[in-house]
Amino acid sequence: MQHKGNEMTAIVSCKGITKVFGKGELAVHALRGIDLDIMEGDFATLAGPSGSGKTTLLNMIGALDHPTEGEVTVDGQSLSGLSKSALSDLRLQKVGFIFQAYNLVPVLSARENVEFVLRLAKVSVAERRSRADAALAEVGLQGMETRRPSALSGGQQQRVAIARALVGRPRIVLADEPTANLDSKTTGELVDLMYRLNQDSGITFLMGTHDPRVMAHSKRHIEMEDGQIISDTRS
Amino acid sequence: MENFRLLAPLAWRNLWRNPRRTVITLFVVSVGLWSVLAMASFITAWAQSSRDATLRLLLAQGQIHAEGYLDNPNIDRLMDRPDATLLAALNAPEVSNWAARLELPAVVQSEYKTLPVSVVGVVPEAEIRISSVPEKLVEGRYLSGPEDDGAVIGLNLAKRLKTALGRRVILMITGEDGWLEERSFDVVGIYDADTAFEDTYVFTGQTAMQNMVGVGDKIAQIAFEVPQDDALSGVVDSLRAAAPTLDIRQWRDLSLMLGAMDASMDASVYVWMSVMMVMISIGVINTQLMAVFERIHEFGLLRALGLKPGHVLALVTLESVLLIGLGVLIGMAMGAATVWGLRDGIDLSAFSQALEAFKSGEVLYLEIKPIDYVIFPLAIWLLGVLVALWPAWRAAKISPVEAMRHAT
Repeated sequence: MQHKGNEMTAIVSCKGITKVFGKGELAVHALRGIDLDIMEGDFATLAGPSGSGKTTLLNMIGALDHPTEGEVTVDGQSLSGLSKSALSDLRLQKVGFIFQAYNLVPVLSARENVEFVLRLAKVSVAERRSRADAALAEVGLQGMETRRPSALSGGQQQRVAIARALVGRPRIVLADEPTANLDSKTTGELVDLMYRLNQDSGITFLMGTHDPRVMAHSKRHIEMEDGQIISDTRS
Repeated sequence: MENFRLLAPLAWRNLWRNPRRTVITLFVVSVGLWSVLAMASFITAWAQSSRDATLRLLLAQGQIHAEGYLDNPNIDRLMDRPDATLLAALNAPEVSNWAARLELPAVVQSEYKTLPVSVVGVVPEAEIRISSVPEKLVEGRYLSGPEDDGAVIGLNLAKRLKTALGRRVILMITGEDGWLEERSFDVVGIYDADTAFEDTYVFTGQTAMQNMVGVGDKIAQIAFEVPQDDALSGVVDSLRAAAPTLDIRQWRDLSLMLGAMDASMDASVYVWMSVMMVMISIGVINTQLMAVFERIHEFGLLRALGLKPGHVLALVTLESVLLIGLGVLIGMAMGAATVWGLRDGIDLSAFSQALEAFKSGEVLYLEIKPIDYVIFPLAIWLLGVLVALWPAWRAAKISPVEAMRHAT
C-alpha cells in the first residue's frame, strides 16, 4: 500500500470505518466512514473536540475494538475475523500503547512493567533485561528500574509507559491523550522524547490529543469532528 | 510453564495489594478448615471413647449365643461350653480375649424393695481381661473365682434397694425345672458405672450361679475381643465357620444404637464440613469478585498489552489457588497444633454426670486421621478454587476497551 505522492509504506489502513454504539433511536454514530492511512515514520496527531471519535478510532486501529462496518489493516494484516487471542497477539507484536493515565501495573517495578510485554512475547531472560533497561535509559529513567509506580512521579510513570510501548519494537505506537495529566514542563519533555524517538528510530506515532504543545511537534495533523476526518495536513 | 512463571509472581503480589482483605480471607479459610479438622478429631475421639467405654463395660466386640437366646434370653436357650473347634478359634491369635458368661433375667430383693435385674455369672479371671466392671468397684471387692457366691451390684441399685456392702440380698431366677429358685447373696462389692447399667446388672460367680439354677456347666454367652476393630468381620466369619449352629454377632449388630451413633459421628463431621464449605465459598467468591471489580481497568490494560483472555483467567485463578492454598496450609498447621497441644487428652471429668448419658470416657485423646488430613484440606482447596473460577471467568470475558473505560 503506497501513500499518494511518496514511497512510504502504510502501517495502518482504515477503509470505510463506521462505529455505531447502541441501537435504534439510541444509536450513537461514533465513526462515520473513516478512510485513513498512517504511513511508516509518521508522527501524527489526531485532534478534535471531545466526542469527535479520536479514542474510538485509536481503539479500532489498536485492535481493542472492532468496527461496525469497514476494515482495518495493521502492517498488512486485516483485523476482520481475527479471534480474541489472535488480536492479543497482534497487539503484542505490532502495536505499542501509551494511555492517558499512566496505566502501569502497580505491583510491578518499572523494569518489570517494561519487561512484561517481552515476557508475553517469550523473549529470553537476558535479552528482555537488557532491552528493558535500554528502553528505560532511552526515556531517561536509568537508576529507577526497581522502583514501583507509586515511587515515581506522573511524568516518570508516563516515561515508563513510553518505554513499555517501545520495548516490543512495535510497528506503530498509539497514544491517547498521553500528556493529559502532566504539567507543562513534563509535557514538553515527553513530547520532545517521543519526537526524538520518531526522528532517530523512525518509530511511527499516532497520538490523539487536545494539547497544542503536542500538535506543535506533529508532522501530520488529522482533525476529526462528529466521527469524520475533516482535515488531514502534513507540515 | 513460561506463562506460569509470568503469572505466578504477579498473582502473589496481587494478593497483597489489599492485605486486610487477604488476611480476612485467610482467616476464614484457615479457621474454617481448622474447625473441620478439630471437629473431626474431637468427634472421632468422642466416638472412639464412647464406643470403647461401652464395649469394654460388658458388650465386648462380639458375642456368641445359642440360636434364639437374644430374642428371648431365658434358661431354655443356653448353650454348652465351647467344643474343641470353637475353643481353637477363640484361642487363635486373631482373638485377644474371651470370657464365657451365664446371664439370666432375675429379681433382686432387699428388705425394702424388689427390682428386676440381669444376673451375670462370670469367671473373674477371664472377666478382668475383657470387662471394665472389676475396675469400677467403689466399695468392697470383686469376685474371687467362679465358685464365689457373693454379689457385686451397682451403686444406684444399692441405693434403690437401700442395701449396702456386707448386707444380704435375695436373687430369684427361674431354674432348669421351671420353678423359681431363690437364694441369698452377700453384697461383696459395689461398682460405679452409668445409672442404667448399675440398675440392670448384678454379678456373681459362674459356678455358683450354675449350681443355683441347675444348668450344669451351660452358659448363655461368650464375649470376645479382637486386637483391631478392622479385623472384626473376619474373626466373626471364622468363628461362624467353627460353630455354624451358634448365633455369632459383632457389636454393631448387638447394639444397633451404638452402631448408629458410631456411623452418625462421621455424618456429623461431614455436615459441619458442608456448612464450613458454604461459608468459605461465600467468603472466597465475595473476595475474588471484589478483587476483580477493583481491577477491571487493569485487566483492560493487560489485555491491551497482549495478555490473552486465558491468561487473565489463569491469573485470577492462580490468585485463588495461592490464597486458598495458603489458608489451607495455615488451617492444617492450626489443626495439627491443636491436636499436639491437647496430646495429653482433654479431661472431661468435671462433666462426668453429663458424660454418663453419652457413655463417654472422661479423657478424650484427639487424633486426626491421616485420610481426614488429606481429604478435608483438599476438598476445601478444590472447592475454593472452583467457586473462584466464576470471578476469574468474568475477568477473562471483559472487553479491553470496556475495561479501559472503567474508572481506575
